[in-house]
Amino acid sequence: MAALCKVVSGFRNGTRLFPERVIYVRQSLHSTDSGEPPRGESATLKKKRGFAAAYDQHTDLQQKQHPTSVRLRSTRDVKSFASLLRHSPLLQMGPAKDKIVIGKIFHIIKDDLYIDFGGKFHCVCKRPTVDGERYQRGIKVRLRLEDLELTSRFLGANTDTTLLEADAFLLGLFDVKDTKT
Amino acid sequence: MATRVLTKGGVLVGLCRLRQPRLVTAGYSLSGQFYATAAAAVNTAPLITEKTDVTDKILNIPLQTPDFFRLSELFSLQDLFDARVHLGHKKGCRHRLMEPYLFGCRLDQDIIDLDQTVEHLQSALNFTAHIAYRGGIILFISRRRQFGHLVESMARDCGEYAHARYWQGGLLTNAPIQYGPGVRLPDLIVFLSTLNNVFQQHVGIRDAAKMNIPTVGVVDSNCNPSLVTYPVPGNDDTPAAMELYCRLFKTVVNRAKDKRRQMELLHGQSATAPTASSL
Repeated sequence: MAALCKVVSGFRNGTRLFPERVIYVRQSLHSTDSGEPPRGESATLKKKRGFAAAYDQHTDLQQKQHPTSVRLRSTRDVKSFASLLRHSPLLQMGPAKDKIVIGKIFHIIKDDLYIDFGGKFHCVCKRPTVDGERYQRGIKVRLRLEDLELTSRFLGANTDTTLLEADAFLLGLFDVKDTKT
Repeated sequence: MATRVLTKGGVLVGLCRLRQPRLVTAGYSLSGQFYATAAAAVNTAPLITEKTDVTDKILNIPLQTPDFFRLSELFSLQDLFDARVHLGHKKGCRHRLMEPYLFGCRLDQDIIDLDQTVEHLQSALNFTAHIAYRGGIILFISRRRQFGHLVESMARDCGEYAHARYWQGGLLTNAPIQYGPGVRLPDLIVFLSTLNNVFQQHVGIRDAAKMNIPTVGVVDSNCNPSLVTYPVPGNDDTPAAMELYCRLFKTVVNRAKDKRRQMELLHGQSATAPTASSL
C-alpha cells in the first residue's frame, strides 16, 4: 500500500489523471468496436510522455464535437479535487459553531427528528412544541449548528469515542418566501 | 476422526492397487508421496475436450485490456465529491495507517484525498468485475445497522450474497463443520464498512486473510487498512456515500455477468452456468 501511495504522489506532481483516463476511454471504445484488444495502438498510446502527452491532451480538449457522452464528461471534469474542496459550502462556512444552515428531515421516530444538513453526519432534534405536527419527512428546517461530529477522548482510550451524530439546535421551519423578500 | 483415517487408508489402498503400474513407472514416488501421487492421478481423470480452448479464450481476453469493462465511465471525481465521500472523522479518531490517504485536516475534521480514492475505487471495481466475470461468489459485509437493508437488497439485485448480521466466529475458518463438508467459500469479500458496532475491526477481515480470500473494503479515517487487499479510502457513514458504493458495485457485477454471457454466445459455447470448473 505504501508503494502505491508513493506512485500516486508521483503522478500527482506531474500531469493529472486526465491523459490516462483519455487513454482508457480510447482503448475501451476500440475494444467494443472490434471485440479484440487493440494491437499496436494501445502500445503507442501508452508510450507517449512529456510533450506528446500534453499535445494529445490539448487537441482532445479542443475537439468539442465528439458524439460519446464519455468524452463530454472528461472535458467538463476539469476541476481538481483541491479547487472543488476549496469552493465547497462546508469549507466556505468555516467553523461550525453557531452557523445557520438548512436541513431536511429524512426520518422520524415519535418525537425525534433525524435531520440531514449536508455534513458527514445527521443531527437528531426533539420535535418542538410549536407547530409540532408540521414537522414531517421531507420538510426543510433551519438549524443552528453546534458541532459537526460529537467526539470526545475518554480516560485510558487510544482514540476518541464518536457518537456518529452532529449537534444542532432546531430554530424552526424553513419558508422559501423569507429568502425572497 | 479415527473413522476418517480408516476410510482414507482404505481408499488409498484401493487406489494403490489400481494405480500400481503408474506408481511403478513414476519412479520417484516415495512412501511419503503416495498421497500426492494418488490424488494427482484421480484429478487428471476428466478428459480434455475442445471446450477448454474456448473457455481459455473467454478467460484470457478480458485480461489483455486494462479497462475491459469500461468502468471508468461509471463514476467521476465530481460524483464522489457530491456524495460526500471525502469527509472523514475528527482528528482524534484518526487511524495512524490512514494518514497516507488523507488530503488534510480542516478545523479538526479529516479530509480524504479523492484523487487517491478515484484510483483505488477504479482498481477495486475492476477486480470485482473480473471476479464476477469468472463466476466467483461475492459476499458483501456491513455491520452498520443503518445500511443493512440497503446492502442486502443490493446483493439480491446483483445475484450475490450479503452478510449484514452478527458474525459468528467460525463462519469462514470453521465452515466445513458449521455448514457441512464441501461448502464453497466466497471468492471475494466486499466490506462496505470495515468496523463493527464497537468500533473494532470486523472479524471477517482477519478471517478472510487467513483463508486466502481477497477483500475489497471501504476504509474511513478511523479504520485499519492494512489487511484489506483493495482498500478504498472513503466515507462510510453518510447514506449518500453508501448508496453510491452500492449502486457502483451492483452495476459492476451486473455488467460483468452480462459481458460473460455475451462472450459465451459470441464464441459459440453453449450457455452453461459459470461453475467452479470454469475457474
